[in-house]
Formats: sequence, C-alpha cells, structure tokens
Amino acid sequence: MSRIFGIDLGTTNSLIAVMEDAGPRIIGDPATGATLLPSVVALGPEGTIGVGLKAAELEGKLDDWGRGQGPGDQAGSAPAAVVVRSVKRYMGLGGAEVAPEDRIRYSFADLGGPVVRFQVSGRLYTPPQVSAEILRALKARVKASSGESVERVVITVPAYFNDAQRQATKDAGRLAEVEVVRLVNEPTAASLAYGLNAMTAGRIAVYDLGGGTFDVSLLSVKEGIFEVLATNGDTHLGGDDIDRLIEEWLMEQLSPPLRQSRQLWRAARTAAEAAKCRLSAAERTELVLQAADITVRRELERSQLERMAEPLVNRTLACCRRALEDAKLKPEELDAVVLVGGATRMPLVRRRVAELFGRQPLCSINPDEVVALGAAVQAAVLTGGRKDMLLLDVVPLSLGIETMGGVMERLIHRNTTIPTSVTEMFTTAVDDQTHVDIHVVQGEREIAHDNRSLARFKLGPLEPAPAGTPRIEVTFLIDANGILNVTARDQRTGREHSLEVKPSYGLTEEEIERMLEESIERGEQDLEQRMLAVARNQADQILQAARRQLANFPALVEPQERTAIDRCAARLEAARLGTDHELIARLTQELNELTTPFAERIMNQAIKQALERKSVEQLP
Amino acid sequence: MVRCPSCAAPSGTGLVCERCGRPLGEELDCFAALGLEPRLALDGAALESRYHELGRRIHPDRFATDDAAVRAASLRAMALLTRSYRTLRDPISRGLYWLELRGEKLAEDNKTVPPELAEMVFEIQEQLAELGASPAGNDRDRLRGEIEGRRAEVRSRFDRAHRELEGNFVRWDRNAGGQDELTAGLKQALSKIAYLRTLLRDMDRALAAAAEN
Repeated sequence: MSRIFGIDLGTTNSLIAVMEDAGPRIIGDPATGATLLPSVVALGPEGTIGVGLKAAELEGKLDDWGRGQGPGDQAGSAPAAVVVRSVKRYMGLGGAEVAPEDRIRYSFADLGGPVVRFQVSGRLYTPPQVSAEILRALKARVKASSGESVERVVITVPAYFNDAQRQATKDAGRLAEVEVVRLVNEPTAASLAYGLNAMTAGRIAVYDLGGGTFDVSLLSVKEGIFEVLATNGDTHLGGDDIDRLIEEWLMEQLSPPLRQSRQLWRAARTAAEAAKCRLSAAERTELVLQAADITVRRELERSQLERMAEPLVNRTLACCRRALEDAKLKPEELDAVVLVGGATRMPLVRRRVAELFGRQPLCSINPDEVVALGAAVQAAVLTGGRKDMLLLDVVPLSLGIETMGGVMERLIHRNTTIPTSVTEMFTTAVDDQTHVDIHVVQGEREIAHDNRSLARFKLGPLEPAPAGTPRIEVTFLIDANGILNVTARDQRTGREHSLEVKPSYGLTEEEIERMLEESIERGEQDLEQRMLAVARNQADQILQAARRQLANFPALVEPQERTAIDRCAARLEAARLGTDHELIARLTQELNELTTPFAERIMNQAIKQALERKSVEQLP
Repeated sequence: MVRCPSCAAPSGTGLVCERCGRPLGEELDCFAALGLEPRLALDGAALESRYHELGRRIHPDRFATDDAAVRAASLRAMALLTRSYRTLRDPISRGLYWLELRGEKLAEDNKTVPPELAEMVFEIQEQLAELGASPAGNDRDRLRGEIEGRRAEVRSRFDRAHRELEGNFVRWDRNAGGQDELTAGLKQALSKIAYLRTLLRDMDRALAAAAEN
C-alpha cells in the first residue's frame, strides 16, 4: 500500500510532505531544492502551459505578446492565455460571488452559474481544474525526487471553509487523480506539527494568517487528543490584501496615464510583496518600479505600512475574540499561542497577537511549512502510524434548514465536534403531496436567505397519503472532512428513501467525469504543443486587428509604416504555419510594437470625433 | 439480527462490537452510547475520559483504509458519540434529554414567567423598552449602566439555578419522592433556567443594539 502524503494547497504557495522515521519532511523540487511551489497556473486554449515559477515567468511574456487582456483592454474578448494566481480565493464560489476587483483581473464566463469559470480563448477552466494542476505539479515533484507515485493524500483547507469550498477541494483531488483520504483544517494541522515536538497538555490558540485566508482555532490537548474548542476566521482575508494596499498606495502616486499600465501594476505587486517582507526586518525600504522606460522610486516606512495594515489586523483580532467567546475562554486561560502563515512574520501582527493573548507567540516551526508538516502527521495517523494521536475538529459554520417563514432553523451549531449528525422528521402539508423540498443553508444569520445556500433536497416520490401521515426521517451527517451527507429513511418501513440532491454551488458528478476524461487526453499532449497553441492564438488576434485597422483607417497609416507592418505580418503568417512558438511569439511582439503608434492615432481620432459630437449636441 | 461489519459476529447492544471491539454504527440513546446507566448526576471529568477512550477506538481516522462498510459504521458511531457527549456534558441539555427519553417535553420558548422571577422580569422588560426608545445621550448611557447592573444580577441567579439543578440531580437519582415528583421538579427547574437564559440573551441583544447606534 502506498504512503499517504500531506498537501498544503495554499493561496500563494503549495507544499507536499510525508512522514518518515525521523518525522515529517517536506519534499522539495529536486532540481532547485525549493520547498514552496508558487500556486500559479498558466492556462492556454489547449490546456495548462505552466505551473509554479514557470507560470509566473510566463505572466511577463504573455503581457508582452499581445493585447486583448487585462484592465483597460477591449471588454468581452477572452485572452489567448491567462496566468491564474490565488485560485483558492475562487474555490466553491458561484459566478455572482466574484468580487468586482477580481472581475477586472480575469475574464470570467458563466457569472450567473453555480461555479466560477476562467475564460481562456475558446476554453473554460473551473477553480478545481486549476487547483488540480497544482496538485499534479506536487505529484510530479515526488515522482522526480524518489520515483514514488502519489496516490493518496491529506489536503489542508482553511478551518473557516464552508461546505462548497471543501467539496471543491475534494473535486480538485479527484481531477488530479489522487484519493483525498481526508481534508484537515490548516490551524489544526499546524497544532499537530507542534504537538509532535512537545506533546504537552494544555490549551493552545493557533493564529493562521495565510496568503488569502485567516483562521483562528482554540484547542485543548490532552494525552494525544487534539480537541478543537472553537474556530473562527475569514476566507477572504490574508497577506495578499496587505500587498494590495501597498500596491494601491504606490500606484496612487503615479500620474493617471501611468496608472493605466498593466505592466506597472504587475511590477507594483511584485515590489509591494517584497517591500512587505523587507519591512519585517527593516524600518524603511525603497520600492522600485521598473517597466519599459519608466523607473519610479518610492520610500515606505514600517510605521506607514502598519497604519495601512492596522484595519486588517483588527479584523483578525475580532475573529479571535469571537472564538474565545464561543469556547468560553479568557485569553489568560491559554497555555500557548502559535503563529502560522507567512504574513505572521509582520511585527505588527506579532505585537497585536501578543497583546490580545497576553503572551509571546510561538513560531519555532517555519510558518510557511508547518501546515504541510502537520498534514503529513495526520496522514500518519490515518495509516495507523501514530495511534497515540487523535484529532477532534469542529464544523466552523452552523447548518440548518429553511422553514416556512424563511427563518433558518439551526440543526447543527457552529463549533460542534465532527463527525456529528442530527435527525429530523419530515411529513407532508397537504393530502397526496408527492414531494417534500428541503433547503439546507450554512451560516449564522436568522433569515435563511442571508446565509449561504448549500443544497436543495427533494424527498420523494411519496405514496399518496393524507397530510401529515408520512413520516420520513432525514439524517444530516457532517463527516470528518466537514462535508454534509444527507440520507432519508421511511420510519414506517425502515427503508432508505430516495433523495434528489441539487447542490447550490460546485460541480456535478457528470461535469467531474467529463473533466477527468478531458484531462487524461490532455495529459498526453506535450507542453510544446500547448505553447504553440497559445502563440498561434496570440498571433491570430494581432493579425486580425492589424488587418481590420488597415482596412478601416487607411488614411491614418504612413506609407513606410505600412510597408513595415505588411512585411512583418507576412513573416508572422508564415511563422504561424510552422511549429516554432518562440519565433511566432517574437514576431507577434514585433507586429504589436509596429502597430502601436497607428493604433494610438486611431484612438485619438475617435476621441476627437466623440468630443466634437458632444459639443454639437450641447448647442442650444 | 445486526452483525458487526468488521468481524461479522452477531453484535451486542453497545457502540462497539463485543467480540472485536470495532464500531457497530447502530443507533443508541446517548447514555447507552457512552456505556452509562441513565442517571442525571454525572461526573464531568469521568464523562470526558470515557468519551476520549471510546473516540480513540471508533473514530473514522482509525479506519481510513478499511472497507466502505466499516468506514460507514465508524462514521455513524463517532457521530453518535460526539452528539451523546455534547448532550450529556451540559447539565441543562442532559436534563432536557432525560425528559425527552420519558416522552416529556419542555417548550423551547417558555412563555410562562416563573412566579419568583415575575417582578424582576417585569422591571427589566420596562427598562429594555425604554432603552430601545431613547435617543442617544446621557439618559441612554444611564439606562445602559442600569441594565448592565441588572445583567449581573440575572447572571448570578442563572448560575445559582444551575448549581441547584446539579444538586437536585443527586437527590432525584436516588428517586426520593417517585417519578412524578421528579419529572415535575425537573421541569420546573429547567423552565426557570431556560427563562433566565432567554432573558440574558434579550438583554445582551438590547445592549449590543444600543452600543451600535
């Protein structure tokens, strides 16, 4: 039987670890030794064209290759290739839930549907598919380093992930062709890694500020039993948000035309992230923005950064207070506070956490690696390698059903130890009713619709009977992964009753099956081919645009300019028939540069005409 | 007859198989799940160690690589165990469950004011209404202060009722006075506690709303 591996599928970085005799160990990239795999995936029309650092490098190239993507570009047209970062933010989200700032960042399809879809040329990618590519890359690392195949895994998720987000993570595992034996909450995993070092008794708080999510969990540890008392968090609050604040501060200082540059925004994000890290040690730092022929330098002091980040840190502290309240604990009743996640390196975070809990937090295990190490420990528990340890986690959000008046009836309260189940009796309201509809929601609000819809269940068909006589027991069971399972039983006959499930968010079984088939076919294609497809697609876009502009605005192009464009276009046409994707990309960029002044003239003329029209309309 | 999903032996009536000690996954009442006689007075520490001991044996983490039938039994058994522990750990929910086992029920939102609380409740409700209607300013701050003082009073009554309940559990378990008296006494004590708890919640809500505006 193969070993079970532990995976931290993070917003910014992902890691894979395994338990060995000496303890849990991260498996790094055998070529570079890097333990972190950036959670970045480059997607083309024919499939994935890169994961990790490779995808991050492609991000720059794709920008240079052509137009038609990013903020300020023609709306509606899907880019030929896209580099997706922080895909975890979109896991389990319905189209309508995509934040406005994210809609600028990527091109989405099906915004009314139950699953967000990234749009790339003629193809759509769901977040589980993108996450699956990260999982595949981690599998490949293990294969390259020891030749071992990864077949079974434990994947960590934010403790505050809801049912749909958890299900989406399991779907990602299936799409990556691994068996997800268990989902473990990140802060709990971290506590296992710490618990292994010093198996003491007591109460601990785990403060986990990751790239995109925040969790706090309070646990009681006793003779190897790790029992979560309460958890709280925010699945859209993390170090990324602090980077974004610095990025915006930096861009605000530039003139409005410069602020339109996508290249500068990208450079600003890189500079912001690096500056945040440097400011954990230094009091001040210089941010340098370089794009094309522009260089911008700005100084940032730690105190300024702290003022910007303060509101976000305060939100995390509010979550900590709610968790303490739910666990009926006072800060001084805790024996240790553990810091997890790269963003906890910020001195402001450490100070505030120390103030709230009245003690210096622990961070003896690398905060970037501790979750993956803990996942490997849990994997060992599952294979029977650590019979002395047991994890008892909780469900982060209350679960209930919508009642007649639209009020939520709470069946399972938040912070209930899982697995847990509750059984409710259902009957009919009118004679010969054939179905009973059950709407399950998750959240803390009184009104069902203010909470998140989880699924709709249809109970039936029922035998014709007078109102109120059928007695059907419906059991809502939350498993050890924090995922809901519903079964129904006729109380009279004792037989299982059929139940039709319509999840409110996420992929259907058929969709997953289809994606799996596609991905197997796709796996046989080679990367060069996909790169070629992207390059050709970019070339087609720019060629079409150039032809259209030359045909529509012949008066705006200079004769010698026309000759150069025609010559370059002809070379590109020829190149795109070949298989040298680098040549196609280079010529695409050349044609882009050649046509840029012409395109600007067209734009200026359009603006002028629009202004003239406006002044005519304004005449009395 | 139900057979153990692990060893196929005819199973007993507990949470785990009498022969192989693995989970059975059958439905049991909360006392039986923890292997206890139905008693009102329970020692919290002993209950917890029992819960942990059984949890170690039946948790799905112990059967992650077993057959689907064994995994399903473990999941059902552990769900029953966590539910049973939660129900019995808290004296109030234990009392309510005890009544439920005997086909008795206490209305969730008890509207009848226990007579010994009537005067206090009346005054507090007037104060809460006044707080809700008063505009921001000194008057409201004074009212808030008064209600906060009242909250402490209600809290201490609640704690006292709680202690009394646990004290009575021992007496009731000895069955002094017979079943009917026990049920009546339990119902009365639980209604009082439920009433105080609702009152505390109302006060907290009113205070929170006043703090926001």
